[in-house]
Amino acid sequence: MTGFAKDFPILAQKVYGKRLVYLDNAATTQKPNSVIDTISDFYKTDYSNIHRGVHYLSERSSERYEKTREKVSDFIGARNSSEVTFTAGTTDAINQVARSLEPSLRGNEVLVTGVEHHSNIVPWQMAEAKLKAIPMDEDCNLLLDSVDITDKTKLVAISHVSNVLGSVNDIKEITEIAKDHDVPVLVDAAQSIQHLPLDVKDIDCDFLVASGHKMYASTGAGVLYTNDRFSDLMPAKGGGGMVDKVSLEKTTYQEPPLRYEAGTPHIAGIISMGASIDYMQKIGLEKIEKHENDVYSYARDRLLEMDNVTVYGNTTRMCGSISFNLDQVHHYDVGLMMDKMGVAVRTGHHCAQPLMESLTIEGTVRASFALYNTKEDVDRLIEGIEKVEMMYT
Amino acid sequence: MTDAIQDEIIGEFDGLEWLEKYDLLIRSARELEPMDEEFRTDDNSISGCQSRVWIRSYKKDGKLIFDLDSDAMITKGIMALLLRVVNNRHPQEIANIDLYFLEKTGLKSNLSPARSDGLRAIIKRIKEIAQNEVGQSNFQ
Repeated sequence: MTGFAKDFPILAQKVYGKRLVYLDNAATTQKPNSVIDTISDFYKTDYSNIHRGVHYLSERSSERYEKTREKVSDFIGARNSSEVTFTAGTTDAINQVARSLEPSLRGNEVLVTGVEHHSNIVPWQMAEAKLKAIPMDEDCNLLLDSVDITDKTKLVAISHVSNVLGSVNDIKEITEIAKDHDVPVLVDAAQSIQHLPLDVKDIDCDFLVASGHKMYASTGAGVLYTNDRFSDLMPAKGGGGMVDKVSLEKTTYQEPPLRYEAGTPHIAGIISMGASIDYMQKIGLEKIEKHENDVYSYARDRLLEMDNVTVYGNTTRMCGSISFNLDQVHHYDVGLMMDKMGVAVRTGHHCAQPLMESLTIEGTVRASFALYNTKEDVDRLIEGIEKVEMMYT
Repeated sequence: MTDAIQDEIIGEFDGLEWLEKYDLLIRSARELEPMDEEFRTDDNSISGCQSRVWIRSYKKDGKLIFDLDSDAMITKGIMALLLRVVNNRHPQEIANIDLYFLEKTGLKSNLSPARSDGLRAIIKRIKEIAQNEVGQSNFQ
């Protein structure tokens, strides 16, 4: 194993007798030893419920939990850790915002892009908002001159990076446009937090959501950044831990962020986000970005030079995912055969059916990268594709 | 219960590496006549698959004939094997059939739960069609 892969025990295994090449990182990333150890050690030494007990373990748990909040807060450039709420993940975070904003969204519009995954579509529709997409050209570049914000637009909710194409949206410019119209902005950073440095102050968004499991931490843990301009939002969930005083007549809530964290959270999972941030920072975010960029560009170039392969999307900045199809082979067949060659890719519509519709395809093969992937992994991908093509001719 | 056609298929797959199995499936798929466009309707399609599958059936001399198609060749190849087993049998026989060749060829274990939902849905549909026929003939 080369590079960072040595930190990830799962990558040492063979599947079907071949070294595993894991290229399904947009779905979820593998975990480094330091994250696995953190979860295990936490259960062995500190585990207890948080913010409730006066006893030793509860103090330690609470302390580690809040320490993680500070780490996440620093990592995304929040002004204050009270702007960071822990959620179960990106989908949960978006649903909470949708629920909290529902009275203003109902019957009005949410502006999205045409590359959104279902998690940034369905919750808004459930809040009875109508979705409008920023138009894009055939390479999937957003046409920001055509952004149409009206009196009915109550929120702009956009992905930073497409989970299908890997295209990076200019969230800063979109936020500027939205601010000119006094419309709040939610940035879905599910596919960017693990690849690109984020600074919510610089982006100037109102909400930012992300998942721990896509950034080398546990599943069931996510982040909802809420700008303190929105500190008095109605909590989406009620219950224990988020209240100040409760009587049968009336309940008052805690200050943020605790008011948004009803019930017992996935404490170990959330703490593991702190460990994954430590891991990434120890390597250095610039180094990660450079390495990933090298591997990504190499993969893209190699795929583009293949005669019978169509690569989707082509924007000025791209990272994470590449979607493609072989001209004569169904994506599902490609996925099955690649699997048997030890290469894990994703196939299908990737929970982005509107995008598939605009590309007029049923699905794609998606290779998505993480910091442990290498050019050698890309070579295995290309070899696999060549073998699949051979089987079909 | 053993079945000559299923045993024959198991023999064909015996000792093959995975890519050789897929190669065989692709070849089987190519032998299957494509379904006429007019029958590739939503009513005839089965969901639960990453690939699309269409199925129709008719009766000939008291026996059931199935016609299947898929946009993915590996799925279509498995369908082709399935048709070899179930076609031209009496509905009662199809309703009761144990499709053990899927397990024995490794094709079933290859299809993980999410993927095999499609396969399971197709088998379910075939059995339902057969069961319906049995019900109708009892009624007559």
